[in-house]
Formats: sequence, C-alpha cells, structure tokens
Amino acid sequence: MLEVQGLEAGYGRVPILRNINLVAPAGQLTLVLGPNGAGKSTLLRTLAGLNRPTAGSVKANGREITGLAPERMVANGLRLVLDGHRVFPRLSVRENIRLGVRGDASDLETRLKDVYEVFPILHEKLDDAASSLSGGQQQMLALAQAFVARPDILLVDEPSLGIAEMLIPTILAFLKRWASLGTAVLLVEQRIDIALKYADGVYVLRGGEIVLSGDSATLSEGGAIERLYLGD
Amino acid sequence: MSIDELALILVRGLGQGAIYALIGMSFNIVVNSSGILNFANGALLVLAGVLAYFILPATPDWTIWILAAVGIAACLFVFVSLQGVLTLFPLKSSVEQHSWLITTMAISVILSAGIHLYGGSLAFRVPSILPPVSVFGLSTPSAYFLLMALAVFWFVVIRWFHQKTFTGLAMSAIAQDLDAAKVAGISVKRIQLVAFGISGLVLATTGFVGAPVINISADTGIGYLLSGFTALVIGGLGSNLGAMVGGALVGVISMFAAYRFGGIYQDTVTMGLLIAVLMLRPEGIFGLAAARKV
Amino acid sequence: MSQDIALDTASTPPAASQRLKLPSSVWLGILAIAASILVPGALGNQYWTYTFTLVTLYIVVAIMQNMLISEAGQMSFGQGAVFGIAAVTAAVMTGLHGQPFWLSAIGGVGAGLVLGALFAAPALRVQGYYLGFVTLSAALVFPQLLIAFDSITGGVNGVPAFVMSLATPVYGSITPLSILAVLFAAFALLFHAVLPHTVLGRRMIIVSNSPEAAQALGIHPGTIRSIAFLIAAFGTAIAGVLYVPLVGFVGPTAFRVDFSIFFFLAVIVGGQGKLLGPIIGVWLLHLVPNVFLADFSHYRLLIYGVVALAVMLAFPDGVVGTLSKWITSRRSGSEKVTVSLHDALRKDDELAASPAPRPEDGAALIEVREARKSFGNAVALGGASLSVKEGTIHGLVGPNGSGKTSMLNTISGFMPLDSGKVELFGRNVTRLAPWRRTRMGVGRTFQTPRIFDRLSIWENVQIGREGFGRAGGENGLAKLGSLAARWRRQDPSLLPHGQRRLLEILRVMESDARVILLDEPAGGLSPEERADLAYLLVYFRDKLGKTILLVEHDLRMVWNVADEITVMETGTVAASGMPEEIKSNPKVRALFTGGGDA
Repeated sequence: MLEVQGLEAGYGRVPILRNINLVAPAGQLTLVLGPNGAGKSTLLRTLAGLNRPTAGSVKANGREITGLAPERMVANGLRLVLDGHRVFPRLSVRENIRLGVRGDASDLETRLKDVYEVFPILHEKLDDAASSLSGGQQQMLALAQAFVARPDILLVDEPSLGIAEMLIPTILAFLKRWASLGTAVLLVEQRIDIALKYADGVYVLRGGEIVLSGDSATLSEGGAIERLYLGD
Repeated sequence: MSIDELALILVRGLGQGAIYALIGMSFNIVVNSSGILNFANGALLVLAGVLAYFILPATPDWTIWILAAVGIAACLFVFVSLQGVLTLFPLKSSVEQHSWLITTMAISVILSAGIHLYGGSLAFRVPSILPPVSVFGLSTPSAYFLLMALAVFWFVVIRWFHQKTFTGLAMSAIAQDLDAAKVAGISVKRIQLVAFGISGLVLATTGFVGAPVINISADTGIGYLLSGFTALVIGGLGSNLGAMVGGALVGVISMFAAYRFGGIYQDTVTMGLLIAVLMLRPEGIFGLAAARKV
Repeated sequence: MSQDIALDTASTPPAASQRLKLPSSVWLGILAIAASILVPGALGNQYWTYTFTLVTLYIVVAIMQNMLISEAGQMSFGQGAVFGIAAVTAAVMTGLHGQPFWLSAIGGVGAGLVLGALFAAPALRVQGYYLGFVTLSAALVFPQLLIAFDSITGGVNGVPAFVMSLATPVYGSITPLSILAVLFAAFALLFHAVLPHTVLGRRMIIVSNSPEAAQALGIHPGTIRSIAFLIAAFGTAIAGVLYVPLVGFVGPTAFRVDFSIFFFLAVIVGGQGKLLGPIIGVWLLHLVPNVFLADFSHYRLLIYGVVALAVMLAFPDGVVGTLSKWITSRRSGSEKVTVSLHDALRKDDELAASPAPRPEDGAALIEVREARKSFGNAVALGGASLSVKEGTIHGLVGPNGSGKTSMLNTISGFMPLDSGKVELFGRNVTRLAPWRRTRMGVGRTFQTPRIFDRLSIWENVQIGREGFGRAGGENGLAKLGSLAARWRRQDPSLLPHGQRRLLEILRVMESDARVILLDEPAGGLSPEERADLAYLLVYFRDKLGKTILLVEHDLRMVWNVADEITVMETGTVAASGMPEEIKSNPKVRALFTGGGDA
C-alpha cells in the first residue's frame, strides 16, 4: 500500500505539486487523471525519487520512504514505469528485461512466463534490439521490465501515450490483473474513457492539486471530469 | 618515399595510434556513464609506465611480467576509482559545473609533479619483454604489436562487458537513458565508479604493455592526453569504434609528420588536426549530433 | 484613470546615465597591489619590488583568466602560452634585432592576439572542455616550437633583453616599469569590475549560462566566446610584453605547460568570479612555494595540485568566495529584497472590459508549410502547417508529445527541418540561424524561464532590447521607466517562479519583437499569476500590436485570449480555427478528454 500525505514538490524553484494526499491500496488499480500540465508526471517522478519533495511524507507498506534515491525506492518495493515507452534502445529485449531484476536472476524465466502469456510478441523478439520494436511493443517491454522486479507498488505513467489504439485495452487489462495479484498499482492516464473502466479508485489532478476523488463508478457519471479537462 | 619507409611509418604509426585509441576508450567508458572527461588520463598512463620501470627486471621474465601487469592494473583500478569518488563527490546534480574539470586537472598536476619529484624531466627506460621484430628489414619494437593487440583486446572485452554482464548492461543503460536507468533501480553512482575503475584498468595495461615505446616522464602525460582526445574527437566522442579509427589516424599522421619534419612537430600536427576537426566536423565521424537542445 | 504605475507610458524615461557604483573590493584590490609594489619600492628593497612587480603581471593574466571563466564560462589552459609568445616576440625584436621597445611591445601584443585568435576560432563552433583541450595543446606545443625555431627565438639559450629607460629606479627601487605594472593591474581590475555592467559583459554572461537563450535574444554565442578569448589574449599579451624589461631575459623553459595551468589554478584557488580572487590566488600559489618555501620549490607543482584539489573539494568558491560568503552570513538581518511584478502589472480595468477586436485579415507573419522532422524512428513533425496572422494571439494546443514545442523550435530556428518551409514576415527563413531570426523581430520564451541571476532584475529586462542591435524606440524602456530605478539593484534570484516567468515575458516585450513565441507560459503559475499573464498577453496584442503564438496546456486561458487556435496531434495539425469552432469540434474534445478515436 502506498500512502502519500501533504506532498509538495517542483522543479528547481517551479512549484508543481501542492498538498497531495492519496492512498493506493494493495490489490487495486488507482487512477490519477488530469489534463496536460496538471502535475501528474511530476507526482509519479517525485514518488519514485527522481524529484525531491519539499514537504510531506510518502509511506510504502507503512515504511517511511520520503526523499529516498530512486534505487532505494526500488529496493523498498516501489517501481515506476516512465511515460513515452522508455526502454534502452540499443539493448536487446532480453537485456532490457534482465535489467529489471536486482541480484539473482535465476528464476527470471519463470517470472517471465506470465509476461509472455499476455505479450507473446516479447517472447518472439527476445533477441532483437529494443529500438526495432513498435511503440506499443516498447511499452510492453517497459512493463515487463518492471514486472520481473515484483514490486509491491507499481507506478505507471501514461502507458497509452503514443501507442496504437487497439493495444491500450490489452495493456490496461494487464495492469488490472497485476493489481489483482496483490500489487498496489497507481496509474496516470489522460484517456478518461478507457482508463475509468479498469480503475478502482480515482483522483483528479488539476494545477498541481487534487480537485476531485472517489471511486470510478461514481465519477464516470455526470461528465464532471470532462468539464475539468476542458476548462469550461 | 620508399615502400619500407611507408611500412615503417604505418607500423609505428598504428602502434602509437593503438595507445591513442586505448586512451580514447578509457575516456569513453567514463564519459558514457557520467559525462566526465578525465584530464588525468595522460598522467595515469605515464604512472603505469613508471610503476613498470620500478617492477620489471632488466632481463625479460614472463612470470614477473604477468604478475606486474596484474599488480599495476589492480593498483590503477583502485586509484582511479578513488579519483572517481573525489570527482563525483562535489557534483550535486549537473555535469554542467566546471568542478570535474578542475578536480581531474588537479589530479593530473599532482601525478606529474610526483613523477617529476622522483625522476626529474628524465625519461624512464623500461625493457621490452619480447625482442624487436623485423618488418621489411627494419627492426621494430615488439611493443607496437602488443599495443595493437591490446587495443583490439580491450575493444572486444569492453563490448563483451557492456553486453554480457549486469554491471556492463547497467552502464550501457545509464548512457542510453539516465532516468529510465534510475527508476529500474540501478545505482548510478556505483556504476560510475566502476567505469572509472575500468578506465584505470585500460590505462594501466596500456602504460605497462607500451612502456618500452612510451615516452615515460613527468612532462609527457599531457601530450598523450591530447593525442587520445584528438583521436576521440575525430572518431566521435563516446564511440569506441571511433576511438580505434581516430587513434589509427592520429598515430599515422603524427608519425608521418615526425618522419617528414622531425619529432618536435608531432604535437603541433596533432593540435592542428584537433582544431581542424573541431572547425569542420565537431561531432566526429561516428558521433551523433545532439537531438534537441531546447 | 487607472492608477497603473507600471505601464504608464507618460512617465519619464530612466536617467540613462545613472552612476555605476563599483564594489569596494575593486579599490581594496588596487590599493593592495599598489602597496605591494610601492611600499618595498619606497623602502628601497629591490628584491620585493621586483617580486611583487612580477606577481602583479601574473595577477593581470589571472584577472583575464577569471573573466574567461566567470563571465564567458570558458576554460583556458593556454594563457601562459599567450603570455609567452608576447614576451618572446618582444624580446626577440628588442634584444636580438635592436628594435625600440614600443615597437617590440606592439609586435608582442600582436603575436599574443594571433595565438588568441587560434583559441577564438574553434570557439566559434564549440565550447567548454573542447576549448580546454585546444588551449592545453597550445600550452604544450608552444615551448616545443620555441626550441624548434631556435634560429629565430634563441632556442634553449633564450634572449637577453634590457630596456634601461623602464628599469632605472626613479625613487627608492621604484622603476617606471613597476609604476606601469600597478597602473595596468588597476586598469585590468577596473575593467573586470565594469564588464558585467556593459552590453558585452551581459552578453558573455547570457552566452555562458544559456546559449539557446542567447540565440533567442539575437546573440551569436560563438562570436561572443571568440571576443572573450581575444580580450583575454590582449590583456595577457600586454603582461607578457612588460615581463621582458622586468626580467631582462626570456628563455623557453619559463613558459611550459605548468605555467599556463598555474594561472588556471590560481583563479580557482582564489575564487572564480570574485574580483579579488586572482590577487589572492596568485599571491598564495606564487609567493608561498617560491618565496617562503624556497627550499621546497621542488614541491611547487605538487603544492599547486594539492591546494587546488583541496580548495575544490572543501571550498568550491575559493578563498575569497568562501570568506565573502562567511562574512555575508554573519551580517545578520541583511535587507531582504522583495519585488512584486504583480503590483507592477496591476490591472487596467478599462482595458480588461473592452472586448478583444476580431482578427482582421492581416498578413500572415508566420507561415510554416508541410514541416517534417524526425529523430531516428521518432517523428517530431509529420508534415504540419501553421499560419499566424499579424496582430493576433494564436493558441497552439495538443496532448503531450504532439509536436507543439517542436513547432515552436522550428519557427525560432532551433530545430532545422528535414523538409518543409518556414516563412517569417514573408521571407523564407528555413535555413536561417536562430539568432538571425531573432534579429528579424521574433522573440521567444522557454519552458523554464531563462533568468540570469548574475544580472539585476532591470538588466534581465534590458538584455531584451540589447540583443537586437537596434534601438527599441519610444515605446521601449519608457513604459517600465518608473520601475527601472527600483529594479536596477535587485537580485532576481529571490523572485518566485511566477515572477521570473513574467520577467522573461517583459524582456521579450522590451526586445521590440513583433512576433512573440511563448512556450507554456502558464506552467507553474498560480491562478492569480495566470490572470496577470492573460492580461499581459491581451495588452501586448491590443496596445502594442504584437503577434503572439501561444503554446499552452491551460485550455481555459487559451479559450479566453486566443483569436485562433491550432490543435496538434502526433506531429500533425488536427484542427485549426476560431476558439468556438475548436471548442465544439467533437474530435478536438475527444483528443483532450482522451476519448477514443472520434
């Protein structure tokens, strides 16, 4: 479980996040929505240790992890998948996945079975350079790399960005199943329509603050989120 | 110019070029993982030569030679890793600061001064493990061939290391996408220190193997540093293949200049080469232009 | 009438000749240098007069080096070679060929400038450590060439050169030369103190902090870097020329690599960017090993290296920098500067109430046709076209990674196209460098505001108009005139983000650019600041006749201020038109709310 209290952060002197409070329970897919520039990516980057928060606290399964370096975050069971299907382009698919496992990689193959089931293409292209994959395949690879790390808390930044439309449900379904295995998944998305179908809890971010929160069923109705997005 | 003169220039030029290529590779391994160019690389090369001078007996002995090679490599691995600690320590976040330039330059000055204290401006002579080889009837120091082999050896080993070991993979990952490497849990500082250490290994073996033909003295480190950097600029910063090609070019061209105009113009020609490449093609042969600046 | 003070065009322009107040450390430095030479001189101590005159010449070289590092942001390890070539040339001319000293001096300075030009040429293309290596190689090669050309330079034997008129004491052991050295050092120190407050100095600071921002201000970074190297060579060469009559002998061993590195390390140890840094640095590094520890002079180089390393690790600001920091921190309750741009930009109610004029059919000032650009497999622009009419605010919106900033970079010239065409003011500029486009009248801001903390708030605004190379005219500085006095001495590092953003926008306004490109100006702004920004944009368009291309995520702001809107998606234009059309376009709505393939 991930608990965030009173989190504030920014880049240099640029304040981005103001007083963020949220909880991502284990076994659930928690969705963070918000228009462009709302601070969603900054939120995830701060939680993963790439940005140092200026105030507030972050707890992973009750352990205080505020302000740790990124590799310490991973050691504490928190893993971020960056936006823009970021993989290591000049490394092979296998090498990219291998980098996800810390230390002993002997049971890598068994861990990978689940991944191959959902993304068989990765199995086929195991020895190809990651740069030869399509955007969607790279996104699968980025997720696979995080999956083999078996984090307790998974943060995913806009997995739908820049990938083919038809792949989005596959990827979201994968995340949903991953969550059901007992992982706390915190997903940032812009695609309200699709993402809401898979989410349990929802937070809406705007101007660096949480302006709306609730369960996905309630928020799906009424178009409140859409109005926030368009600035009506 | 006769055929054997040409052969002489080529063999010796490629042999010298192997030294420059190896220095270039030792630059690369650090620059790819941390963006830092180690200005002490020339002095470190000379340091390895000085250590060889102290250890190696006048008569060739393979057991001592191999033990000495391992010992000196271990020494420089540790030393350059420590230098990495000193260099990375003042860097809070950005490599844009000048501090690494100053700390690596200071280490270079300290090493040269230390060597100078012991040996003055005199050159240390180190005996060769193998007798000279005859090329077109001209006696050529065997160290040149050992150096060429060493350059190929390190080129292959570094490639293997980057592809087959976890640390090497992590090093490539850092070079390709720093943030993605961080969130994958890679400990960036540790990997950067290992990179410093490996660059020390490359320099140690180069200085040791090349000792019979390297000009080992307090003042010569900077000349090697510049030739190695010029090789890198020609080939493209960050590319080991570029370092090999650039090293060969710098070696042959400066050897030709030395043969034609006298050894005293060797560094001048290298400098001219450096300035010409920077003016005409700053990204080098194998280098990539920066994608997006703003 | 409104009580708006900031945008009051009737207020008097600032006194252009407001007195520049030099920091007291300059006078302290000049005093110290003068005393170091004149006191032993007056007492008739020849040794100390000589030593400190020599040290003072070195200080001048270090001051030039300091200027290169701190203002121009460039590393040089070759200043000793410049010093050397000037000294050798002057010595050969006067000592071997019997030329008068003044002519030899001109020859020496000329030779120094030629070597400086050799550093300056690569500086046109590259910067930073590349130049470090170029200058270092010059320092390495120079003494070798002295020996190679021994028929001209006297080779290892060196050249004796005496100039009696300069070396004859006039009082005690004070010679005309020692007086010259004091005057010269004083001049160099004053130059370095004044430089940051001149147009050239400001440009150096801008170039070293952000070459992109420099280009966006119409400055060619390479030219400025080259000028810095030439100025440094000039000062250094004069010092080298004066070295000749002082020492009376010039040999090749004096100018080896360590001589060049000495100046570099002296600046670092003294404190980079500090006026007194070179004085303290040279005194410490030269006097301690050479004079006080003369028995240990073998350890000189070792001491340089260790001291420089220790200073870099423990006191990165150098001796002077660390001391002055300590003194500042002890001075409790130092005045806190607050600046409110919010006050300055107080709303003019009348203007806000008046409806924005409908865009007329003005000429298209920006015309992008079928722009294509990809990086490897990644497509940044896939055949996007855009047309922005004069006197309008044109909104450019779209999801992350849709190519908005790429479009902006294409227009301002930072991203050369693979194919396609860019026209500005009806002229084809597809292959024109960014700084040249700026000079045509295109201003821009960046996602992170480029504010230079070494300049005052006022100077940060002022640099906008300096970049153009032409006067801003009446509607330039006068508008902000009343604020000039207040902002002139204030430090922008204390400004919060939102105000830095507005400051950058004011700068573009001052530049007299007719076309202004804004890259996510509302990012990180509070709701009040966003309102200020929106007001400012409308003011620019309606009162100043500017044309604005606005890349922005805050759709509410774009709906409110834009006359026309272009929506981008994956490097192409998805829709373009009036705000109402765009807003009601279901495809566009879907794009922003993430609706499926509508």
